[in-house]
Amino acid sequence: MYWSKVVSANKAQPAFSELYSAYAAGCLDPAFALLVETQAALRPDVRRDLAMSEVIAVSHFERAEPAELDDDAVNRALDAIDAAAASNAPPRVALNGVSSAIGELLDLPAPLKDLALFAAGDDGWKFTGPGLRRLALPVSDAAETELFRIEPGVAVPRHTHEGSEFTLVVSGGFTDETGSFGPGDLSVKGPADCHQPVADRDGPCIALAVRDGGLRFQGVIGIVQRLIG
Amino acid sequence: MRLKAATPADPVQRQRFADSMAKIAVDRCRASFAELFEYFAPRLKSYMQQLGADPSHAEELAQEVMVTVWRKAEQFDPGKASVSTWIFRIARNRRIDAHRRTQRPELDPDDPMLRPPDPETPDTTLNRAQLEDIVRAQLETLPSEQLELLKAAFYQGLSHSEIAKSFNLPLGTVKSRIRLAFNRLRGQLEGDP
Repeated sequence: MYWSKVVSANKAQPAFSELYSAYAAGCLDPAFALLVETQAALRPDVRRDLAMSEVIAVSHFERAEPAELDDDAVNRALDAIDAAAASNAPPRVALNGVSSAIGELLDLPAPLKDLALFAAGDDGWKFTGPGLRRLALPVSDAAETELFRIEPGVAVPRHTHEGSEFTLVVSGGFTDETGSFGPGDLSVKGPADCHQPVADRDGPCIALAVRDGGLRFQGVIGIVQRLIG
Repeated sequence: MRLKAATPADPVQRQRFADSMAKIAVDRCRASFAELFEYFAPRLKSYMQQLGADPSHAEELAQEVMVTVWRKAEQFDPGKASVSTWIFRIARNRRIDAHRRTQRPELDPDDPMLRPPDPETPDTTLNRAQLEDIVRAQLETLPSEQLELLKAAFYQGLSHSEIAKSFNLPLGTVKSRIRLAFNRLRGQLEGDP
């Protein structure tokens, strides 16, 4: 089942997201883990729920029946520590400021920033239509993950999806048939939904999209997209 | 239920773990490392097995996590998390990177992920360590059947429908019980009775 609109909070009985428990347990696909972490960076209520989820996970981690280890397990660990100290490879450092065009990426919340900087330095932004660019993020084999940048007032071509699409607004905002979305808001669209997001006029909209099926644009852009892949 | 058989780390023990971390960070103390290893490595292996690794792979992963604990010891901040939380986080991230099993989200229409932020919710004034203390204390008061459901969701990472199947409960019951338990914990943080 899929939902195509923002559901308003039921204050008396706020629900709990299965995404948070799956994240806390370490079972979430990396693309969705990134989505959850980014939303937490943007929203204090999500941060708190995630922190609580983690404490619940940890308390069960402590309670769990300990497994049997090899007799010399601790010595093996200490040997590995000594071996690593001997080679002592320098850590890899994220590239900094290769271009002024990445200025905006430096303002992204922490979970996204390094990833976006690497991706921008690698394959870079792809032109997807007037005022619309996207940056593929190499996060998961199972789910397509992209950062979208939409110029103020620009409409994303009407599109449908093969699977479901989760779009988290990182900065700016957009409006579609189902409502208005601002930073930290998540829009979930299923295969039955066809929508046309329009970026707010007061600034560019940056959004993180995770899809477990391909995105299909309709109309002219759709044809162009099929041609250039 | 064996749930209470292995007791979670008490406050005294947690303080001792934090002291051991400091000794590893400052003095590179191998005895302190051995002490942490004795408590955490078997639990890390158990966690990795829980999530589907076979015993020998689970032991390798537990080893890797503990070596990371040594390497990153100076990054540990007792004001931000307990040693358990910090180590569990390393293990969880290791696991998210390594296994890449897709948990396909099935969101509830009431899901807070889909909820606009509540402007009346103040940014939490609690630090992480305080939040952890309050949630831990409250967990101790939950009835064991609620703890079992929380374990299935938050430690085993099962979806609500998977839990419904394995506990032989209607899906709605699973959702409402988890919601109830979570709201009790949340209420404590907000200072509700």
